[in-house]
Formats: sequence, structure tokens, C-alpha cells
Amino acid sequence: MLIKYFRTNPYPIVALYFFLIGCEESDHEGKRALTIYQESQASWVRNFNPLTPAGSARWPTSSGIYEPLFIYNSVKAEYVPWLGLDYNWNSENTVLYLTTRSGVKWSDGKLFTAEDVAFTFNLKKIHAGLDTRDSWSYLKEVKALNDSTVKFEFKRVYVPGFDDVAGQPIVAKHIWKYVEDPIKFTNPDPVGTGPFTEVSRFESQIWELNKNLNYWQKGKPEIDKLKFPTFPGNEQVTLALISGKLDWAGAFIPAIDRVFVEKDPENHRYWFPQTGHTTFFYLNTKKSIFTDKTVRKAISYAIDRDLVVKVGMYDYTVPAHLTGVSGQMSKWHPPDIEKKENWVKYSPKKANEILDSLGYSKNSSGTRETQNGEVLSFDIIIVTGWSDWIRSAQIISKNLEGIGINARVKTYDFGAWISRMQKGEFDMAIGWAEKGTTPFPLYKGMMASEYIKPVGTVADGNWHRFNHPLADSLFREFEKTSDRNEIREILFGLQYLFIDQAPAIPLFAEASWAECNTKYFTNFPSEKNPYATLSPNYPPENLFVLVNLKNK
Amino acid sequence: MNQSLIYLIRRLGFYLVAGWAAITLNFFIPRLMPGDPASIIFARFRGKLKPEAMNALRETFGLTDEPLIGQYWTYLKSIVQGDFGISIAYFPEPVTSVIASGLSWTIFLAGTSLIISFAIGTFLGTLIAWNRGGKLDSILPPSLAFIGAFPYFWLAMVFLYLFGFKLGWFPLGHSYSDSVTPGANIQFVLSAIYHAILPALTMILVSIGGWMLSMRNTMISTLGADYITFARAKGLRSRLIMLRYAARNAILPNFTGFGMALGFVLSGALLTEIIFSYPGQGYLLLQAVTSQDFPLMQGVFMTITFTVLAANWLVDIAILFLDPRTRS
Repeated sequence: MLIKYFRTNPYPIVALYFFLIGCEESDHEGKRALTIYQESQASWVRNFNPLTPAGSARWPTSSGIYEPLFIYNSVKAEYVPWLGLDYNWNSENTVLYLTTRSGVKWSDGKLFTAEDVAFTFNLKKIHAGLDTRDSWSYLKEVKALNDSTVKFEFKRVYVPGFDDVAGQPIVAKHIWKYVEDPIKFTNPDPVGTGPFTEVSRFESQIWELNKNLNYWQKGKPEIDKLKFPTFPGNEQVTLALISGKLDWAGAFIPAIDRVFVEKDPENHRYWFPQTGHTTFFYLNTKKSIFTDKTVRKAISYAIDRDLVVKVGMYDYTVPAHLTGVSGQMSKWHPPDIEKKENWVKYSPKKANEILDSLGYSKNSSGTRETQNGEVLSFDIIIVTGWSDWIRSAQIISKNLEGIGINARVKTYDFGAWISRMQKGEFDMAIGWAEKGTTPFPLYKGMMASEYIKPVGTVADGNWHRFNHPLADSLFREFEKTSDRNEIREILFGLQYLFIDQAPAIPLFAEASWAECNTKYFTNFPSEKNPYATLSPNYPPENLFVLVNLKNK
Repeated sequence: MNQSLIYLIRRLGFYLVAGWAAITLNFFIPRLMPGDPASIIFARFRGKLKPEAMNALRETFGLTDEPLIGQYWTYLKSIVQGDFGISIAYFPEPVTSVIASGLSWTIFLAGTSLIISFAIGTFLGTLIAWNRGGKLDSILPPSLAFIGAFPYFWLAMVFLYLFGFKLGWFPLGHSYSDSVTPGANIQFVLSAIYHAILPALTMILVSIGGWMLSMRNTMISTLGADYITFARAKGLRSRLIMLRYAARNAILPNFTGFGMALGFVLSGALLTEIIFSYPGQGYLLLQAVTSQDFPLMQGVFMTITFTVLAANWLVDIAILFLDPRTRS
């Protein structure tokens, strides 16, 4: 009956539709807000606490509302003074004196001083849950000597602690001293020193952040407002990017030239620079066969990294460097690196030779066996749905089959995968490595004996459980020196050790994902204008971008 | 009436036992999953946090090594007090407020589409059973069964691409336009309706066939009953026989099904909501499971369980009125 009615009289439906559309079209009143995607969420939870374990606070809480003392620029591979101006160590490297910038104001108009810095660090001392950088394991005392100098006294010599100090977002003493439980504080109306501090709208599917009129960099930021709509996944982000609804995003988009750039070559841009870090293929060095470094190198020779990068990573990156240190980090490479045995070069012939000489002979079905007759058969574990790594692992599996090693790709749910990695209950896996401002965290994470736990017990780092006495002594030396030349020498030593031992197998250089639309805003970093990395996913580096963007 | 009271109380007792079983499973099943939330949050940073950060994370989330049975008692006590704890993925937001933000949108979207699909499906089923062998009867069941065979998230993706992206007739996502302010104003209501059309349509299209077919089948067997023949013999108007005699009896199984479906609404809209970036419960549940957020998982499952139980109890009451046989 109804159907019959509407078939002869479709006007009410059509009218209703246009009425609904009419309500939508009032979208573009005033200036456009810079629309950003950084976090996958379906509904926003109001949390601007920069001190809780990051992840639960909204982006850019610690890199836009609040600011750190120094920001490491990964494209230029150097520290840029921010709320801090300068620093120096005493001769024994036990005390760090840090000068703070004067003339910086909090967004409520009060002056920022060294007291705020000292207060922030002491807050982490009282509440261990806030100390995600574990600063108080080496700090003894932090106090402000005057309005612009902070003195950090160390319990033990630990120079890399500077990285933790530099990156700490600083909160206002005059506000946080009244906060009863800073761990559970959601800080709904933040007062920060950053370029954008005023939350002008907060709803479950969208929120907006206005600029800080008191910002210390004169005339910056130029844009007035940031806007954050929710996107639960990559598909939704991709659609929004293509239809011009997003200005800046940090998403992985397959076949990006065809999918995104072609729709508007003038304005749709992306830049995937290398981060200097590497994705590794890990062998569990507690398995008796993988205790032998020559076996690890043989497996490395068997991997066709060009194919892995092409098929697994859409050619967005390049095969890894022998040292696992690439991109801007390459400045740490020893000068004679070319003369070393390059075991990341694809050479199944060499892999076969090594395994033959070690006595792993092939059985009738072409699979290698140990002298005791055990077949070389392993699992490569990957997280379910991480399609780039799954494809990479499938290629590696084929490669290994070519040298007579049976390796099956097995996928696990993220939680199960992490648990297996931490407990050392795996044969082979693809994984990341620790990141930092020098290659030190990378090597420490994969060679330090202090992280090693027995198989079956959760280890916080060094999941493949490799250690070497020389590495441990190099780490201790590194922690004690602030001398540039000594640092270089130690890092050379660590790289030589890595090349000699092959504790993990470098696969490909890591790239950062970033897209932008220059229709309404300009001065995004790019290959031609590389003042910082474009990706918003590496706070606090995105501060460089936020303060330098311009209206078109 | 006394009889029916006893019946209702017996059912209530059954639901209480079922509720307790659900609460208990709800506690133990998530804990059987490998991994722990602190590790997962740490691992999310893919090496951007130092291994030493794990200490701070464990401290913050207060993860205890207390034996399970002790944890279970604390859990039961806080459930009774209506305290579901603090979410880990959305730390330090209480679970109840995290759920509250999504629940109303899910109930609006999935509830409306369930009611529409139930009403239209049941009505169509009645109609085609009454005119069985007619034109509608030969077209509707196969075509709707065909559409119903699509996974609903696939249909959702096709609709989003076609009507949202290619043709631009409907918005690409969210539950209302960014330019309106939520509240009791007409623009917000209209915008919410406009944004709900596409996701609701996909859910209705996929589920309508089921309602229609089950109604048609019971209806046809009812139509063969003696009282229908008797009603015809009395010379009653055919519309009266169709609705008051046949449909009223045939609708009972559909009603029971409605009670079941009402509960699944809360979980079932999951993928549709994710595809349309709809701020409902669906993504919350996914987020809770992937980050091993025990408190949030418990909260979400608990709302689902209790909705199913409550809905079924309401259906029991409704059937009591619709079907006199249950009263004796």
C-alpha cells in the first residue's frame, strides 16, 4: 500500500532527502580548520594529561599543547632547543645543568620558569606510574637553581639520560601542584606552553583545538584551529583523504600514487622518508641451531630483500643496511664499513655453502637435517592482519625453502604474538627494534644481557635473547661518556660487533607514513623542503610542522 | 493470573542463574587470553618506549598477581556496586562512562533498524503467506534471501563506496554533521537521521529476509488450522482473519526471535559501525579485545548479556499476554 502510494507520489521522499541535505550544507562557514588524522578511534575520550603513559591522551597533548625541552629532528639528525636553550655536563658527567628559555608564557598568561621543569621531574619521582622514561633509576635530585637554570644530579653516570630529560613534556607547577592524583587526572582544560592549547569543542566524534594567543614564537602558529574527526580505520582515512576532507594524516596507504595522488596531483602529496631505523628478522638465539652466528648469516644470505621490499612493502622503502642503521642515522657508520663481509646481500649460493660446510645435509625430500637427523623446520610468527609483514614473511619462507630450510608463516593475534615474543617462545619472527637519537638504544635492546630472562618468562627487551660480554662493556662505556669522539668510537665498536655476530637480521629500512593536502594549507615538509619529518606519528617532532604551517 | 505470576517468577529465577553464569564466564574467559595489557600498550609504541617503561605501565594499571579466585571476589563485589573499574585502553576513564558514550548511538542505529526490519519483514511475511503463490510471493522470498546471504559488512562497504563516495548522496561516516551541535535542536535530529540512513539500510536489507521467511512459514501452517476454516465459514472479512486470527498466532516465534535479536543488536552492529565510522559500541568492543582491556571488555559484554536477558524476560511477559496457552 505504502509502496504503491510512493510509486505514484515520489515527491515526499525526494523532498525529505533534499531537506536533509540542505541541513548539511552549512559546513564551510569561516576559515577552514586544519583537519588531522593521527589516532584510530571511533569516539573521543577527553584526556589531555601529558604525563600518563602516552596513548590514552589525545594527540597532540605532548607535542602541541605541552612541549619538551629539546626536540630531536630525525631528518636533520640533531637536537633543536625548545623550552630548553642549552645544557652542559660537569667534568665527571654526574651533574647536568640545563638553561631554560626566558619569555615563555603558559597559555593562562603566567610565566614559565625552571621551577616548572624541576617540579615536573619531581612529580615523576613521587608517582612511579608517571615515570615512563624510568628517569629516577639514575637521577638523584632535580632542582631549580634560579628562574632559568635546572640542576639534574645523577645517582650513577648515565649520559643517555639526557634523551629522557630532553623529551619530557613540561607541565605548569601552579596548576599541577593542586592535582591530587596526577596519574588518574584527565586534565580536561589544559594549560600548556604549546602552539595550540584552547579546546574549543569536544564531542565524541569530533574535537577542535584553537591556537595559543600567548605562544612564545612570535607570529606563530599561523593557522587558527586544528580539527580532529574520528576515523576507526585505514579504509575510512583513505576515503576521507581522497575526497579532500583531510589536510594531514599519518596512514599507511597501499599503492598510494594510484589511489591518492592521481585524484589531485596538484595538492595530494605524500612523503615517506626513512626514519633511520630498521625492521629486523629475529632468530631465537636460545634455539641450539641459532646459537651459531654462521647459521644466522647463512639465513640472512638466503633472503631476497629486493623482493621483500617490492612485494611486501610496495617499494615504499629500501633493503636494510648491514648495520641496521640507515637514513639520517648513517652518519654514525664507521668509515671502513664497505670492507666488511656484507651478509645482507642476496646470495643463496653462499647460504648453501655455509650450511653444507656445517654438515646440515639435505635429506631425500631436499630439506636439511642436523647430524642427529632432526629436520630444520621452523615457524615464522607474525601478527594477524599485519599484511605487509605477512607478505614479507611469505617471501622469506620461500627463500628459506630454496636453501633447504622449512619455515612456515604462522599468524597470531597481537596479544598472543607479544606474549610469545616476550617469553622467547618462537623460532623466527619479524619485529621492530628500539629507537633513539643514536644507534645506542637499538644495539642495547638487542644485545644487552640485563634484559635477558629465561625462556618462558616475560622479558621487557631483547626478546631473541642474545648477549655478548663485549657488548655489555661497550654499553657501560657509552653510558659514561659525553665526549663526541668517544661516543663515535663506541658506536663504531658496536657496529663491528653487530656485523661480526649477526644477533638479528636486518630486513628493510623503516619509513614513516605521511600524507597531506595542500589545497588550504602550505609549507608542509617535503623532499624539497625537508625541515622535519612530515609524519604526525613521531611526537614531539610534529611540533616543527604545527608551528610552521601556513594558510594558503 | 496467579499461575502467570508463578511462571514469571520461575523465569526470573532462571535469568538470575543465567546472569550469574554470564558474569563468571565474563571474568574468566578474557583472562585465558595470552598476553597482558601493559605489554600490549608498551608494544604499540614499536620501540619508541624504552623497555624500562614497562615498570611504570605495570605500576599505573595496578596489575596484580593476586590469585584468580581472590580477584573474582573483588570483581563480584564491585559488579554488585555497579563499579566496572577503570578502562585501560582509555585510561583513566571509568568503564561506565566509556560505554555510555557509545551505547546510545548503537541503540539508536541498531535498535531502529531492528524494529524497522522486524516490522516490515513480519508484515511482508503475513502478506505473502496470505496471497501465497502470488506475484510478491514468488519474487520477494528468493530475492531477499539472496541479499540476506551477503555478509552485512560487505554490503555496508559497497553502499559506502557507491552511495557515499561515488555518488555522494550520503555522508561518508559519523553519526551527525560536524557543523551541527548535538542537543535538542531540529538540525541535529535531522542530521542524525540523514547519517543513519545508509548504515541502517544495509542492516535492514540483510536481516529483513529472515523475519519475512519465518513469518511466512508459520503463517502458512497456521492458515491450515481448523479455526481459520471456521472463521472463513463464519464469513468474517478476510483482512480480519489474516491479522487477528492467523497473524496473531503466527507471530509468536518471531517475537521470541525479536527478543534474541535485540541482544545481538548491541554486538552485531560492530562491523557496520566501524565501516561508517559510527561512534557506537562496535569499535569499543574491538578496541577492548585488541588491547586486552579486561575492565572494558567485561563492561561491554555485561551490557550485552544483560540486554539479552532483560529483552528475553520482556518477551516472556509479552508472550504471556499474546498467547493465553502459557497462562494455564
